Amino acid sequence: MCLDDQILNTYLDNELTEPWKSQVEEHLSYCSGCRTRYQNLLKVSDAVKSSELTAAEIQPHQDRVLSMIEKNYLSKGKGKKSFLRRTFRLSAPQMIGVAAAFVVVFVGSWAVFGHNNASGSTILLPDVNTTIDLNNITQTRSSDNNTTSKSLENYSLDEILKNLDARGYDVDIRLKSIQPLSLDKIGTEVTEIARIEEADITITSDGLAKGADGTIIATGVLLKDDQIVASDGTVLWTAEETTVLGN
Amino acid sequence: MEIRSGDELAFRQVYNEVFPVVMKVAYHVTYNQDVAEDICQDAFIRFYDKDMSFPSMDDAKFWLIRVVKNLSINHVKRKMRESASLEKVMRGPQVNPFKDGASELILKESTAAVRKAVSELPEIYKTVIVLREYAGLNYKEIAGVLKISESNVKVRVHRARKELEATLDREEVNVP
Repeated sequence: MCLDDQILNTYLDNELTEPWKSQVEEHLSYCSGCRTRYQNLLKVSDAVKSSELTAAEIQPHQDRVLSMIEKNYLSKGKGKKSFLRRTFRLSAPQMIGVAAAFVVVFVGSWAVFGHNNASGSTILLPDVNTTIDLNNITQTRSSDNNTTSKSLENYSLDEILKNLDARGYDVDIRLKSIQPLSLDKIGTEVTEIARIEEADITITSDGLAKGADGTIIATGVLLKDDQIVASDGTVLWTAEETTVLGN
Repeated sequence: MEIRSGDELAFRQVYNEVFPVVMKVAYHVTYNQDVAEDICQDAFIRFYDKDMSFPSMDDAKFWLIRVVKNLSINHVKRKMRESASLEKVMRGPQVNPFKDGASELILKESTAAVRKAVSELPEIYKTVIVLREYAGLNYKEIAGVLKISESNVKVRVHRARKELEATLDREEVNVP
């Protein structure tokens, strides 16, 4: 009986143990059909190996990355990491979310406080008399008699939200199909924290489970003891199914 | 020999030994040297930052390979999603990155053809071939990195070579 390709491949990779190894060698010594087949497989393997990235191609990358790490990490010691070289990703929906948040806060605050600047608020609100939309939002100015005070645009969204929050307003910002922004999430970097290879799902640090095409499969999931759990503690994917991606 | 990834001396040692391997893994999954460099940099920064302890050099190497492999696959998938949606909008001429005249080293025709054939493999076959042929891992080590069984590795290697053989035959590449 002749050898199948899988056995020949295993033999080629030197992964066959005795006594099978000797048996294969013996068979190859007299069966020219299997020998040709083996040589073809060897040729494929050699072709792949010979196309590998060469040492000359690798060296410049190796030097460049090392000098960057030396400059920003090794010389400075722990706890002083440069953020400059770190990838900061903000997806398009998130940017729309932030923009939408501004609209909500502007419209909301205008509706609530209107022209009443004497209410003792810590943030003095602009006197706006045009219709507010995305186009003119950056053009709003603080009213003339308040020129010495800080206008609303001097505050970050974070500060505005905190201020409203402190004054007892329950500010909820959301955009259709996008998870709500919350105070503690603003400004943090979203990274991929785990993968479910079998199901082709990526878990990100903002608690989303996304499929291969980017659709959100679950929200509010957590990485806990190498498992992916829902907010109520149900294990969605076990540690065996989960590949933890650093950080 | 225990390896502490946050220790500068140990870090340098691992870097010198493992960088070429992970660079090959990242490159042969993404087939873009700049992207591969970024991925390797990211992985080594995580490695140093996390200050982990590994029982041996090999364990540190496998950790890095796994991270680089995951980052590379994620990149390829993201790229595929992006180009799929982009293609709907405009169907411009396709540039073949394997025959890039601007690259510093002009590749041999056969090298370019083989790299292209590897890049076209389905992901599960591509990763085993990359780990086997370019990272030089044995079946047991591949099984450990990919968290699959050894017999599964065996099957994937076999299928990957079969596909490669068919592609290379079709394009009549004169393999050395």
